[in-house]
Amino acid sequence: MASPFESYDDLEDADERLQAADPAERRVAIIALGHSGDPAAIGHLARMVDDPDAGVRQQVAMALGEFDGPEAAAALVKLLVDPERIVAAAAADSLAEFKDPASADVILPLVKHSHAFVRMGALRALKELRRKDTLKPALEALQDGDAAVRVQAIGVIGFLKLEESIPALTSLINDPDAHVRRAAVSALAFSHMKPAAETITRALKDEDWMVREMAAETLGLNVNGAVAADQLIASLDDAFWQVRLKAVRSLGKMKIERAVRPIGNCVTHEQANLRKEAAAALGEIAGADGEPFLVMIANDPDPDVRKNARWAQHQIAAKKAKAGA
Amino acid sequence: MPLATYQTSVPVVVDDAKCIADKGCTVCVDVCPLDVLRISDMTGKAYMAYDECWYCMPCEADCPTGAVTVNIPYLLR
Amino acid sequence: MAIDEIVDGLSEVSCDVLVIGGGTAGPMAALKAKLKNPKANVVLLEKANVKRSGAISMGMDGLNNAVIPGYATPEQYTKEITIANDGIVDQRAVYKYAENCYKIIEELDGFGIRFLKNENGDYAVKKVHHIGTYVLPMPNGETVKKALYRQLRRARILISNRYMATRLLTASDGRVAGAISVNTRTAEMLVIKAKAVILCMGAAGRLGLPTSGYMFGTYENAANSGDGYAMAYHAGAKLANLECFQINPLIKDYNGPACAYVAGPFGAYTANNEGKRFIECDYWSGQMMLEFYNELSSGKGPVFLQLKHLHEKTIEEIESTLHKVERPTRGLFQQGRGVDYRHESIEMHISEIGFCSGHSASGVFVDDFARTTVPGLYAAGDMASVPHNYMLGAFTNGSVAGIDAMEFADNHDFAQFDAADVAAERDRVMAPTKREDGIPPNQIEYKTRRLVNDYLQPPKVTRKYELGARRLAEVRQDAKERMIARNAHELLRALEAQSILDCADMAVHASLFREESRWGLYHLRTDFPEKDNENWFCHTLLGKQDGKMVSEKREVEPYIVPIAEEEKDLYDKQRIAVGA
Ligand SMILES: Cc1cc2nc3c(=O)[nH]c(=O)nc-3n(C[C@H](O)[C@H](O)[C@H](O)COP(=O)(O)OP(=O)(O)OC[C@H]3O[C@@H](n4cnc5c(N)ncnc54)[C@H](O)[C@@H]3O)c2cc1C
Ligand code: SF4
Ligand code: SF4
Repeated sequence: MASPFESYDDLEDADERLQAADPAERRVAIIALGHSGDPAAIGHLARMVDDPDAGVRQQVAMALGEFDGPEAAAALVKLLVDPERIVAAAAADSLAEFKDPASADVILPLVKHSHAFVRMGALRALKELRRKDTLKPALEALQDGDAAVRVQAIGVIGFLKLEESIPALTSLINDPDAHVRRAAVSALAFSHMKPAAETITRALKDEDWMVREMAAETLGLNVNGAVAADQLIASLDDAFWQVRLKAVRSLGKMKIERAVRPIGNCVTHEQANLRKEAAAALGEIAGADGEPFLVMIANDPDPDVRKNARWAQHQIAAKKAKAGA
Repeated sequence: MPLATYQTSVPVVVDDAKCIADKGCTVCVDVCPLDVLRISDMTGKAYMAYDECWYCMPCEADCPTGAVTVNIPYLLR
Repeated sequence: MAIDEIVDGLSEVSCDVLVIGGGTAGPMAALKAKLKNPKANVVLLEKANVKRSGAISMGMDGLNNAVIPGYATPEQYTKEITIANDGIVDQRAVYKYAENCYKIIEELDGFGIRFLKNENGDYAVKKVHHIGTYVLPMPNGETVKKALYRQLRRARILISNRYMATRLLTASDGRVAGAISVNTRTAEMLVIKAKAVILCMGAAGRLGLPTSGYMFGTYENAANSGDGYAMAYHAGAKLANLECFQINPLIKDYNGPACAYVAGPFGAYTANNEGKRFIECDYWSGQMMLEFYNELSSGKGPVFLQLKHLHEKTIEEIESTLHKVERPTRGLFQQGRGVDYRHESIEMHISEIGFCSGHSASGVFVDDFARTTVPGLYAAGDMASVPHNYMLGAFTNGSVAGIDAMEFADNHDFAQFDAADVAAERDRVMAPTKREDGIPPNQIEYKTRRLVNDYLQPPKVTRKYELGARRLAEVRQDAKERMIARNAHELLRALEAQSILDCADMAVHASLFREESRWGLYHLRTDFPEKDNENWFCHTLLGKQDGKMVSEKREVEPYIVPIAEEEKDLYDKQRIAVGA
């Protein structure tokens, strides 16, 4: 009987198989190398990046994704600039799974490549590597003419969480592309500096509802979010219930007492999702002036709303009891 | 009691022109959780040998040449 | 050579720790065991292929129950799980999971598994439940298995694909000694001696029959036929709360969730035919399923997942996850029916029954170290009794099991089993291949599962259970005396059919033992419609004694996170009365 275990000798005849005349056979050999998990396979795979067959190169890009570190990254970088999109796309996906910061050295130069797809792929890969020396090139990439590249650059900067990047991120608030503005707002969440919170606050007035939604949510995550309490309260009148909902949630999370009434006014909105979050926020703030609103929805047709209303009343009662004790 | 064969229209289809099983590929047969794919002795290509499919898709997703198509089994389509 | 031709043969190997089932918990258990003692031999035995096996074959929509600092606390999580399980919970294991799971998320992230992050690289946890915030989406989750497999290769785990474990071996003192398995393509048998064994064979998902009639269209990965439950039972391990069935809300006719956990954070919800929400219960639980069942059987059904009120862009985002990860054929299915989420709600239904602790509480009884009641035998994931564990629980408790099992193996020598046990098992396994004529496994299985639907599906009626038991016994007799397998693949199905029968018998026994109703629809007994805390605030343990199935009560361990009366009360008000 053959061994019942998977083999660990996949590399044995690799070189020979990689030279097969038939591209399909080369592909099969590459699959085996990727599957081996043996770092010695990287060298074999690296030699295949110039294979004349695009399908083979695509397979190499996928197989290299099974590894990590500078050697595999160097081979993938060559595939990222491949003229065939299927190859480049596979390389970009593989690089995005890398975690070893040392891989950044070979990826960094591509941030300045002439093709937007390559620049995007490189920045996407750098994000998870979180290396400080990627900040400068990423900041420069914020000027890129391609919006998708700018979004990826924001990611690299945002993952690093360095206060020095705040001015650059702030300037993006006027970017012509809504995706860029949305990403920039989200990237400001970490900052402890007031200007970051102020910038997010300004985004509450953005023309795109998804940017406004992100701003309302991000203020709830930012340490200085409370500076925007009044503006968040104003957002409770936003034309989109999605934005109101996030504003309600952030106000609740920050326990803004003067928001109770304006939040209370949301409990009769036609959108049950909003009524439900309004009830929950009233509970989080637990101000006694929230009670009348909760009474109003005690018999709401939506069980989730009723449930949160009950929970909120309980919170208010508990707070009162504590104050009395 | 003698056994009879029961007809069924199988959900997973392999495009013979694209399949490279004859070059040594066994990916779809390897990954299938229900072990229902085989390589045909006659054509040298992969095919669905048993209609016991969870329509989960690894066969299609992992095929290097895009030869596999998973369809929803007729009974629940 | 004919396809899957039977080769008669038996060989033996040995290892320090044997992990059976390479889905979710299994790979993690194997990896942790090996990292604990790199010199030791760790075997991972899998019926399918570890690369794409188990519930997470194509990834998952997200973590359902991530306890991430800043969003939820272990105390709060433990409370919610306790309440969702009507109080029948040994909190220590739940609490331990809650404390450890964040570390595991970080580790999985390090493997290259992608979780949703905001632009600061922090996990973008979503609020779905009433109080805590637990859901962490995985929009690129389809790479989970690839990433795990890579780790196994790096650690040089001994992987045996396409071997189905059939029975455990034990020594005369009851300790575990290894397992017996059979190759699913050649029928060759393999005995694996081991100092410790970890069972990670997933849910018993092929118990009920899906309403479509397609036997493999189950909610659970259809390879999970309950072999683990059957093996644990025959080895003398106790199984907990098997009457607490698993039933899930699914897309009608399709076996994937439309998932409130994916669409929920975006504002989608489950609604009745009037477009109104009706679910009071917060957690995916028996109570929720009862509400679902009631709505379906009232005039207010059918039930739908409502998305049309969402913005076009939001729907696009939901689709990109629903149609790419976990159950990617979801998109294909909706397309075939011409359903566009923008204009039409998704019709929902309830699934067939199964055992699964991952979603309810029915599993092989384990403590907070994943130890079963058999020394040296561990269990983790959907088949172990820690309730509501889901994917992250499988990873976390798999890790706990791997570490503890290796410690056990380091301190024990091989236990000795009786060669006669191997011979007897070989006879049992091969019996269907020795017949010239008989009933094929698919008919045995179909009939078993049809009976499960007819007689065991809740609401549970004692008389129906008695009739069901009688009919099932007849099928068992047929399986034993007349089932035929003409090749190795049919033999695999024949063995699975026997596990399914074992599970059906356990479902009957456990359900009849608990003379009350609890866990909403999961254990709704029409003859005992009330919850009876006085007599039944306890676990039930099912086991094998002198070859017979027996059940006993087991006290719930004292809580480590107390739950105040008023809190219980608050939740109780969410409950609706049976049959309301
Ligand atoms: C459709 C679906 C959607 C889900 N969605 C989510 C979600 O979004 N979030 C979440 O957190 N959880 C989700 N879950 C739950 C989660 O996936 C499971 O709880 C978890 O993966 C269970 O892991 P496991 O290791 O116990 O079982 P599995 O991963 O199923 O592994 C069991 C393994 O055992 C093998 N096996 C079975 N019998 C034998 C045998 N006799 N011999 C050898 N091997 C055997 C099987 O082939 C399989 O590989 C979902 C589950 C399903 C089915
Ligand atoms: S994976 Fe694709 S190419 Fe390979 S055997 Fe299957 S169908 Fe053929
Ligand atoms: S869809 Fe899943 S079960 Fe069906 S053939 Fe493909 S891998 Fe196998």
